[in-house]
Amino acid sequence: MKTSYFVDYFVSQGVPLETVFLILMLPVIATMIAFFRQVLGIKAFGIYTPSIITFAFLAMDFGSENSGIKYGVIIFLSVIFAGMITRYILKKLRLLYLPRVAITLSIVSFAILTVLVLGGSLQRTGLASVSVFPILIMITIVEKFVAAQIEKGNKTAIILAAETLFISLMGYYLTNWKTLSSFILTYPWIILFTFPLNFFLGKWTGLRLSEYWRFKEILKKM
Amino acid sequence: MLNFFKNSRKILGMNSRNLNYIRLYNHKKAICIADDKLLSKRILKKNDLPVPALIEKITSHQELENFDWTKLPNSFALKPNRGLGGEGILVVYGKKKNGNEAWIKADGSIVTLDDLKNHISNILDGNFSLSSVPDKAFFEERVRLLKLFKPYTFKGIPDVRIIVYNSVPVMAMLRLPTKESGGKANLQQGAVGVGIDMASGVTTSAVQGKKSHLIEYAPGTRLPLSGIKIPYWKELLELAIKAQRVSGLGFLGADIAIDQEKGPVFLELNARPGLSIQIANLAGLQERLQRVSGLKIKTIKRGINVGMDLFGGEIEEEIEEISGKRIIGSVEKIKLIGKNGKEIEVEARVDTGASISAIDKKLAIELGFDEAVKYWEDFHLDHTLNTQEIEELSKNKVWKELEKHPDVIGVAKIFSSHGASYRIKIKVMLTIDSLPIISKLSIADRSGLNYPVLIGRRDLKKFLIDVNKTI
Repeated sequence: MKTSYFVDYFVSQGVPLETVFLILMLPVIATMIAFFRQVLGIKAFGIYTPSIITFAFLAMDFGSENSGIKYGVIIFLSVIFAGMITRYILKKLRLLYLPRVAITLSIVSFAILTVLVLGGSLQRTGLASVSVFPILIMITIVEKFVAAQIEKGNKTAIILAAETLFISLMGYYLTNWKTLSSFILTYPWIILFTFPLNFFLGKWTGLRLSEYWRFKEILKKM
Repeated sequence: MLNFFKNSRKILGMNSRNLNYIRLYNHKKAICIADDKLLSKRILKKNDLPVPALIEKITSHQELENFDWTKLPNSFALKPNRGLGGEGILVVYGKKKNGNEAWIKADGSIVTLDDLKNHISNILDGNFSLSSVPDKAFFEERVRLLKLFKPYTFKGIPDVRIIVYNSVPVMAMLRLPTKESGGKANLQQGAVGVGIDMASGVTTSAVQGKKSHLIEYAPGTRLPLSGIKIPYWKELLELAIKAQRVSGLGFLGADIAIDQEKGPVFLELNARPGLSIQIANLAGLQERLQRVSGLKIKTIKRGINVGMDLFGGEIEEEIEEISGKRIIGSVEKIKLIGKNGKEIEVEARVDTGASISAIDKKLAIELGFDEAVKYWEDFHLDHTLNTQEIEELSKNKVWKELEKHPDVIGVAKIFSSHGASYRIKIKVMLTIDSLPIISKLSIADRSGLNYPVLIGRRDLKKFLIDVNKTI
């Protein structure tokens, strides 16, 4: 693969190519998330959660030749599902926020452990061999889920979780897109284009795509 | 397609609301006032704007421990200071009589002193507040439901949300608590939002819930949601503008409830009003805001007038458009077209109590039905009869004889409070509000009555009646 002079220099200084690439991808993914929110109207849990999950998905791939995404999705869904169940258990207890999140985290951890063991017993060795740090990262996103449950209700929290999963998958496939990765490594300076792009998004006052749907009755009537 | 994009620019979206309005016109200090219910209450009260009276507030667990519960009246509303979307509000309607400290909620369930303490403790811990920060709790006077709204409301208190921008009320909606919303007047939780015509204060179209689907009737009833006249309309607009001025919120959503005795009272000021109000009104907010933007509004009265003039007045046409029906008054000018082609214009009484329409004998003669009238008169039936006589006439098949005349298309047996009558019916073409109708009119002696023609239900299918309308 042809790489830019800068990239070559970084690598010669001992920075792995993988690291250079992923760091360069972060602004691209962040811009994509901003675009999804401002123009398409897909919200997700802010910008941090979908980008960290994107990288968790990517990290899972390292250990298990591109089957990581499958396990990533399974673990994500298990985390959200366990978070939902825990809400019903804790609802009546009326606990303060942090202890409540701590209990939820514990229950989610047990759930994920069960899923891993279950996967092993079903001869799905790939699941159990997934690197542990991305799994831990995904467990902690349950906090965002609990916060959304408290502030916006269960239904909205589930929708936001689904949107987060969608955006993370998009980020994952974008990063794995060979054309884009070789392009970025050849011309790393194109990352600078995310600045004017985000400036434009930051001033964008048009309707979001989802709002055309939301206000369809008014548009029909006009 | 081009039209579609042009129209979509009339709608206010999230991006534009945040960037062009909230960020620009709602400064941090003003937002702090809106987000702090106790503070906004104090500021409104200081400026002589009506609010439900504050009974008592509890700001810490220690205060909760030492609170004198006897200070509380029999009915009150307990609220978290920074509550979101009506969460954490507890309303009691009366005190239990048996000496123990216990209150009764709207659904009849009992709230004991322990329940109350527990609830306040939850409020103080921030379980109902934004980002779960510790909060204060306060008791305020309960707003008593207006009789007018009672049939439309499930538990809770409806309120009127008015969006004010540049001292002009630009859009408003009536929010009705429903079963789904658990008695809360919040659209996100399933309440009903009803659009309001800014000029008349009369409701137009309605939506329910987060998904905002259009509805016609109050949930679970056959009560139409359009056409409700909001009481104190002008006063509400005035209050909303004043609230904008004292709060400093350039883009304000004022929530005002109407108390049975006190009239309008402010429930809340909103620095980030939702966008669903547009669906309830089937109108775009962006367009309205742009029309008002840059105007120099010096007095409150001017603000009211601008809002009323720009964003209202077309309600009648709108209702006609929505229902596909025309609106007529209880007395309406109609035109009759006679057998001889003669056109006569008269005033007619619109009467939904009558099934078929009626015409005065003399007028029928003028329209060329003199022979038919004469024929009927020969039967000596043109006077009041009793029920027995009518039965006899039916038994003797008198109608068969009467229908022999070519102009007589049928016979009508009319029973009213004055007695019964046995009339002939004629077919006449008439126009009501310039809509042609082929009417079957019964002939009667209406010489003693104010109007020579009475329009009954059968001829009113294409109309809605507004009793306030005059010719």
